[in-house]
Parts: sequence; structure tokens; C-alpha cells
Amino acid sequence: MDKIFVIEDDVGLRGELLKLLASYGYACESSNDFQNIVPAALAAQADLVLLDVSLPYYDGFQVCRELRKSSAVPVIVVTSRSSEMDELLSMNLGADDFVAKPFNPQILLARIAAVLKRARPAAHEDEPLRYRELAVDVWRSTARGPAGETELTKNELRILTVLLGKRGRIVSRDELMNALWQSDEFVDDNTLTVNINRLRRKLESIGAADYLATKRGQGYRI
Amino acid sequence: MSLGEFLADRLPTVVLTLLAAAFGFALLVTLGEGTYAGGYLAGAILLAQALAFALEYWQRRRFYGEVERGMARLDKKYLISELLPEPGFAEGRIFAELTREADKSMCDAVAASERASKEYREYIETWVHEIKTPISAARLMLENDPGESAKPLSRELTRIENYVEQALYYSRSGGVERDYRIRETTLRALVASALKKNAELLIEAGASIRTEGLDRTVYTDAKWIDFMLGQVLMNSVKYRRGPLEISVVGAAAGGAVSLTVADNGIGVPAGDLPHIFEKGFTGENGRRGAKSTGLGLYLCKKLCDKMGLAVSLASAPDAGTRVTFAFPTDESRRMET
Repeated sequence: MDKIFVIEDDVGLRGELLKLLASYGYACESSNDFQNIVPAALAAQADLVLLDVSLPYYDGFQVCRELRKSSAVPVIVVTSRSSEMDELLSMNLGADDFVAKPFNPQILLARIAAVLKRARPAAHEDEPLRYRELAVDVWRSTARGPAGETELTKNELRILTVLLGKRGRIVSRDELMNALWQSDEFVDDNTLTVNINRLRRKLESIGAADYLATKRGQGYRI
Repeated sequence: MSLGEFLADRLPTVVLTLLAAAFGFALLVTLGEGTYAGGYLAGAILLAQALAFALEYWQRRRFYGEVERGMARLDKKYLISELLPEPGFAEGRIFAELTREADKSMCDAVAASERASKEYREYIETWVHEIKTPISAARLMLENDPGESAKPLSRELTRIENYVEQALYYSRSGGVERDYRIRETTLRALVASALKKNAELLIEAGASIRTEGLDRTVYTDAKWIDFMLGQVLMNSVKYRRGPLEISVVGAAAGGAVSLTVADNGIGVPAGDLPHIFEKGFTGENGRRGAKSTGLGLYLCKKLCDKMGLAVSLASAPDAGTRVTFAFPTDESRRMET
């Protein structure tokens, strides 16, 4: 389980961030002692640091510089100052990515996953996503079921991972489309229908026919 | 100042001088000194006064002439005291002194007002940055505990975000500072970012997007373009008619790269087109239904002007609207990066 250290002084936002990250399977830690935030972050031995820019005592840029002096931990800067200048400054100070407030939670999660993936040694293989007898290998873009294995297109993979990420919950068509848009696939309603139908046929072909349920007028569920 | 005006101002002196000359002439003639002596005295009086007038006229004409020429050269007229020549006469010195005082007070007032407007802009910037934290928290709450009203609430949050961003760029568009940053990017990156940011509203409007020719390099401030494309896309959503179709097309022509966003919406009446980029102009469509602030396109134009981009709009009722941004690609832009 990856551990994320959250440096954010706004109590409300921090609470919700910790909740979000925990529900997506990350271990989280944070601290309220902003005078000693750098030692606290280092002591946590996190896999990633989420760093706000406007903080008491030291600003995020200073914290980033201090962290870099003794650690190569990936840092994502989260800031409400969304000018090109701030972005440049964070990157020059060794931050790995930059997310502007107010962020879309799904985008933040995608960035975190991407930075963690980049930072991880190549030898460390990722666990496939599993559900009942279905196993989805995200990096190879394949799905394995009781009756065999099939390759997935980029869109099919994205749809499947979103549904698996929210297993048991109904995911609306709009939500699925939004997820596709966020990975640069600006599909429309018809394309989504085509993709879903193809995905359903592929799941049938590997013996996972009843996994993808359609809820009329509401969306889909796994 | 013409000679006539000059003499008219000195009418009492002229009359008194003439009277003095006439009196001197009469006195000498009465005393039996003869008309020759009388005429000589009268002539001397008149000549002396005429010379005095000529000197005075020349002095003033030179001084005020220089003031007027200085004024014509000045962009900010109230700075004239800096260009005042040294007047060689008392009235001129009083005039110059008063002008200098008035100018100083004017400069102070202008500086105070500029400071106040700068402080206000800074406050808006700070406020916009502050408000983003609670908006982020609210978004996360909706993600963590999605309830019945999660979707409409999320849509309202998006609207709030759009208005907040508009306030930020409104305040930036007014400043004289160069607060953008030109960097190399591609049309594809700019368009993708804007589409993603407005995905929720576009998807809800059932938009189908077609892109073409976006693999072109441009030099611009990505954040500013992001905002402007957002304004244009929101207009397409607001003024849609039937299933929304948006095409985003990049092209290169005459040393410039252009980006055109075209929709199949209700379009703009011909009479409204000349005013489309004016501040607060809502036009026929704005009056008829959709909420319009008359700010979106105004800000696009203003920000484009500031950044050296061209923006144009073509439209006809029921024939959709096309907004085109033209990016300069010349070397000078590259040098700025």
C-alpha cells in the first residue's frame, strides 16, 4: 500500500483529502505542526508528498526545496495560485507534478497514480485489478476471465477500470464519458455506446458475461 | 494670443497714454512752445509706450507659445509643469508656480488612484485564490459522500468556478502589468486542457467534439488561452440548438497559426455582430433567454489584445458561430520565451 503524506493547512480540505485517498486505498499521514513540517514529512517515509503552497511558517516552495535536500520522494504541488510562473517555480524546485485548485478529484487521483508509477522501479510489477474471476492488467491492457484472455482498447480499459474502481455502485454514462475525456478521448454519446457494447462482447468471450450490468436510465455497474 | 487681444486687455493704458500725449501736446502749445515741441513730447510718450508694449508682447508670446507647443507634445497634459520655460516676468512666475502646484496635486491624486486600483486588483487575486480552497473541499466532499444532490451540486460548483475565474481574468485584463507568460505549447495541449476542464457541462449538453489539425506549435500563455477557450465553449453550450456539435480546427496561414472553434448553435443576429466584443453587451440572444453577463467575449478580446493575439467572430442566425484565434508564430515571439 502506498503512503501519502499530505501537507495542507486548511483543516476542512485536508480532512476530505485524507478521506478520498483512504477510500482509494492509500495510507495517509499528515501533521498540524507546520513549523516542523519537513522533518515530519521525512519521518513518515511516504511514497509521495502532496504539498500545498500557502502554508504557515514556510511556503510550499521552501518546503519543497528542503525536502529535496535530503529526499527524492515524489512531490505533487497543489496550489490555488494557478499562474504559469508558479508552475515553473515548483518544477524548478524539484516537484514532480503540479495540480491547480480547485481540482477535479479524479484528476488528482490520476496524477497521483501517474507520479507513483513513474517513481516506482521498473522491476516492481503492478497487481492486476481483480473482481470475482476477472483480472484486468492495466499496464498490458488485457482482461483475463475463466474462459480466456482478451485485449482491450484504451477506451475499453478506461471504462473497465472506472467501473472496477467504483464496484457495486452505479456509474452514470456522463461519469464514464468524463473519465474518457480526462484521458484525452473526447467521445460522444454514440461512441460510448459502441465502446460499452464491444466491451460487453469481449467480457462474454472470456466467460464474464454477467459482470457488467446495465441500469436503465442510470448507468452501468460491476 | 494675437496683438488685438493683447491690446484689448490693455485698453485703459492705451486710453490713458493717448490722453497723456494729447495733454502734453496741448500744454506745450498753450505755454507757447509751439506745435513742434508739443508734437515731439506727444510722439515721445507714444513711442515709449509702444516700445514697452512691444517688449511685453514679445515676452508673453514667446512664453505662452512655448507652453502651447509643449502641451501639444504631451500625452498626459497634466505633466505640463515639467515642460514650462522659465518665465521672465512676475505674472508668468506666478502662473508657473500655480501650475506646478496643481500638477503635483494631480500627480498625487493619479498615483493614489493607481495604488488603490492595484491594491484592489491584488485583493481580487488573493480572494480568488482563497476561495479555491473551500471549493476544492466541497468537491472532495461530493466525491467522498455522493448523495442525491451530488450531481446538481457539482454542476453548481462548476458554475461558481467559472464565475470566480472570470473575476480573476477581469481583474488581470485591467492591469498595465505584463502578467502573462509566453511559452511554447501545441494547439492540441491547449484544446485538450480546455475540453477537460469544461467536460462536465459539455457532456451534459450532449456535445460531440471534432478536432482537426491541432498538431501545431504556438507561443502563448496556456492559462490565458485555457480561460478564453472556456468562455467560447460555454457560449456554445449556452446558445445551443438541438444536438450540440463543436469542431475545433487548427490551421496555418500567412505566418500565423489559427484556432477556430465552431458550433451549430443559434448564432448571432447580424445587427449584434459589430458589438459582440463590447463590455456588457448581451444582445438579442442574451435578452431572449440564456443568462448572459456580456463579459466572456469582451474579456477574450481584451486578453488577446494584451497578449498580441487576434480574435474574430463570424456568425449568422441558425448557422452557428465560429470564433477564431490567430497566434503569431514569428521569431519575435520565440525571443520572448
